[in-house]
Amino acid sequence: MRAVTLASIRAHLPRLIASTLAIVIAVGFVVATLVLNETSRATVLDAVGAPYVGADAVVTSDDGTGLDDELDRIAALDGVAAVDATWESGVQALLPGRTGQQYLLAESVADAPALRWQVVADGELPDAPGEIAVSERTGAAVGDTFPLTSFAPDGTERSSSVTVTGVVDLGGDPTSGIYGRVWGTAEQLRAWGAVDPTELRVAGADGVPAGDVVQQVGAALADRQVLVRTGTEQAEVEAARLTGDTMALTAVLLVFATVAVLVAGLVIANTFAVLLAQRTRELALLRCVGATARQVRRSVLGEAALTGLAASALGVLAGIGLAAGVSAVAEAADSPVPLSGLSVPLVAVVAGLAVGTATTLLAALAPARGATKVAPLAALRPVDPEPLRSRGGVLRLVLGLLLLVPGVLLMGVGVALADVLIALPGGALSFLGVVLLAQRAVPPVVGAVGRLAARLGGVPGRLAAGNATRNPRRTAATATALLIGVTLTTAMVVGAASTRATAQAGLAAQYPTDVIVQGDGTMPASLPGRLAEVDGVVAASSLTAATVTGPDGEETGVSGLDAATAAPVLRSTGDVPIPAAGEVVLPWWADSSWGIPAGGDVTFTAGGRTATLTALYGDVERPTLPVAELAALAPEAAVDTVWLRLADDADHTDVIDQVTDIAGAAMPFAFVTGMANERAAIDSVLDVLLLVVTGLLGVAVVIALIGVGNTLALSVVERRQENGLLRALGLTRTQLRGLLAWESALVAGVAALLGVLLGSFYGLVGVASVLGSYGELVLSMPWLQVGAIVLVATVAGLLASVLPARRAARTPPVAAIAG
Amino acid sequence: MPVPVMTVPGEQSESLSGAAVRAAGLRKTYGGGETAVHALAGVDVAFARGEFTAIMGPSGSGKSTLMHCLAGLDAATAGQVWLGDTELTSLRDDQLTALRRQRIGFVFQAFNLLPVLPARENIVLPMQLAGQRPDPVWFDDVVARLGLRERLGHRPHELSGGQQQRVAIARALLPRPDVVFADEPTGNLDSRSGAEVLGLLRSSVKETGQTVVMVTHDPSAAAYADRVVLLADGRLAGELTDPTAASVLDALRDLGA
Repeated sequence: MRAVTLASIRAHLPRLIASTLAIVIAVGFVVATLVLNETSRATVLDAVGAPYVGADAVVTSDDGTGLDDELDRIAALDGVAAVDATWESGVQALLPGRTGQQYLLAESVADAPALRWQVVADGELPDAPGEIAVSERTGAAVGDTFPLTSFAPDGTERSSSVTVTGVVDLGGDPTSGIYGRVWGTAEQLRAWGAVDPTELRVAGADGVPAGDVVQQVGAALADRQVLVRTGTEQAEVEAARLTGDTMALTAVLLVFATVAVLVAGLVIANTFAVLLAQRTRELALLRCVGATARQVRRSVLGEAALTGLAASALGVLAGIGLAAGVSAVAEAADSPVPLSGLSVPLVAVVAGLAVGTATTLLAALAPARGATKVAPLAALRPVDPEPLRSRGGVLRLVLGLLLLVPGVLLMGVGVALADVLIALPGGALSFLGVVLLAQRAVPPVVGAVGRLAARLGGVPGRLAAGNATRNPRRTAATATALLIGVTLTTAMVVGAASTRATAQAGLAAQYPTDVIVQGDGTMPASLPGRLAEVDGVVAASSLTAATVTGPDGEETGVSGLDAATAAPVLRSTGDVPIPAAGEVVLPWWADSSWGIPAGGDVTFTAGGRTATLTALYGDVERPTLPVAELAALAPEAAVDTVWLRLADDADHTDVIDQVTDIAGAAMPFAFVTGMANERAAIDSVLDVLLLVVTGLLGVAVVIALIGVGNTLALSVVERRQENGLLRALGLTRTQLRGLLAWESALVAGVAALLGVLLGSFYGLVGVASVLGSYGELVLSMPWLQVGAIVLVATVAGLLASVLPARRAARTPPVAAIAG
Repeated sequence: MPVPVMTVPGEQSESLSGAAVRAAGLRKTYGGGETAVHALAGVDVAFARGEFTAIMGPSGSGKSTLMHCLAGLDAATAGQVWLGDTELTSLRDDQLTALRRQRIGFVFQAFNLLPVLPARENIVLPMQLAGQRPDPVWFDDVVARLGLRERLGHRPHELSGGQQQRVAIARALLPRPDVVFADEPTGNLDSRSGAEVLGLLRSSVKETGQTVVMVTHDPSAAAYADRVVLLADGRLAGELTDPTAASVLDALRDLGA
């Protein structure tokens, strides 16, 4: 039987291409995900772990204090060669080429050469106060001198001038691009306000293993609340802290990989079913000449196992190649995703091979069982042109409904209670039900749409409509594969659009102003105008400030707001109401300290003048009243704050940098807060997520489309005689190609349409159940994208028919007679 | 023993230039070199309008290949085929396709109909492919003569073998083709249905002047024809006019000897 199995694979190799391709893609996806995850972890470990490479032991304290006192005790230990405390602080610096102050993270460099981990790209590490090394992000070069402001623990500022002696290369550290870093001596860091070391790094004496060093240090510090780890352990802890998100991403990726594998399974099951249906006579002949049912089944499963294994091996290679490509691109593009080099974990290879082979075997199981039912007599009968009749339809229907109905009910409950933990199993159950029922529902829908096609497509259209429904089981299986992919893609797109709309509404309420520029005292009169003119700023509003006496007799700062200019600046007045004439918006603290209820009267006095206003409450820092009333109360009130609104399509970071520079030049201690950045960051995270997710689900859709092409290709083989007859009767090659194009477009179009309907439903339910508990829910339907999904799936279905159609068009008319 | 009327192949082709179909020097070779198989080794033959001709010969004599080449289903290796005044071997594929659907009718041994279409649609299919509407009077006439009026809405698998073959004949006759080619039309039928089908072909020749060329290996089927053309080893091996089952059987036996 082994000879038969191998010969059969050789003979049917072209027909196995589609299932092979499906497995290759699915397995490649799984492997690439695992490899990229491992590569990212290794990259982060490399970069984040750099400080701990030379350290044999690292001591951290639970409460972050007291490490300083232990330096001497550790240094005195036998196995310890050197110990160094790491000091950290934050400073502001006016970097070369900038006019506004930048925040920089400052760290100390070790005295002991063994514990100096920094890779110096240029110059050398600092040795004395006043000298610093900088990270590349700062843009400073060796020899640069610039002013730096540090803050003592009590908040007092101190300015000094520093000189750059070296530039440090941080490698693939994912945080290296976020803010600039500077390094100084420990003494310098203490002068910059560092109070306690963040950690102690210990270098062991020559020949003392790291474990022993940790043990000695641990024993010496047994009386203290400290953690002692080896350098490697500490690096892993730090890396895990940073890659927590990456892990979540991996989990998400694996979910999509599962979807891809599932869809591939459907395509494979379909292929084997058709292959075996075509070989009924061949299998029956095997039975006739003495093969047992078991032998036939083993032969079929052996074929599946070999195909699966070979395709999985290809898939593993493809996955590693893909990961290498992604890593190379990410590295070249300096992407924030930490990827460099390639780490292939063994588990990825094994998992890829196992998943691919197991999926193929499982998918082939049902067709193989069918094959064993072939009666030996079938070999002697002429080929039966009768379409296969679907069996087990009732069971499928009942099971489908049993899953669908409770699933939908659970989703309803989930939406009503805004509990995703109830809606999720509901969604899973109902979707399983849908997949089962699709086998029944799809053929009639294809038939109905087919009647439309028959009207439009002439004879080829009518024949295609007939052909698409003549083997309902196969049509359903083909369509189901595509349906799953399209449903999930649409659910994601719809879900993300609604999530985004909801998040945007929430963000607008939370951050009504894009940029706030606060002066240090009175603002130069020309500044608000110059800020309003910055490219990308669409609206500006100036707020005045004065000090008045509050209802409790204490002095308090108040702001004057111009309703006319403020309204277009604020993205939402939900949390920050604009006071009308005779009103004042009080911050929440006023409720308790002044005891004035909303709607009550509040009186301010200044220089003998008084103003009595009706109290509102909102998210403001100071009592805020209309600018005219503040001017009447305190004529000396001057502009000290400017609110800016940025254009939605502007590069917010760039605009904020410009605003910072202009404000900094006019007032050295101007304080610029950019909420726009935060909003844009959240926005772009959602955008990227959506893009990534859509791309990933696209893989499932691609596999499903291969299935469409495959089914057609097999139909072409199956209907060789029939196509020959059509050619003999006068169907031109073009018409024959049209026939297959129609058939393909019909199946793909119907699957896409149903998928989009289902997906929209699932997406909206998902959003409603996930975000329902976060307050105001904004549902959004991305019609354009959803339309594009239907269009792309249908057109791709058409494309999938090209190769089979070319083959069909080559059918000689004589095939009708020759068979 | 009746002596078959034998004529020398090719001599008549000039006098029959008004023939519905004729071939000159037709060759069909499969493979090449030493393994080449000559299915047709130079055939000159003509079929008169309004005549029912049977092509006969032992298995492998090339009778099916001859029909495929005559009907434009297969390309000859050498030689020429005329349908009326149209020379087929020089036509491109889509010209041949158009010619087939307008001027040639086919009846095959098996798998004659498209399973997805009901009988009526199967019958009008070639005309629809050509973008033509069948003449309703002629359609009714053909359907009535073939006894299919009650069966027009049935799909092929709901029809008996004889009924399916009658649908195929109706489809072949409907466009009033220059010639109907029938390839073993009774091969899959029981003797009663077979006789019925042959009678219908016969009467379409008699009553409407349809030209029919039939390939068969069954002497009693050939007996329905006006003329029998005998083929052996890819060459014309004689012909019989007004054949009977017995005379055809004798002629075949002579070929085998």
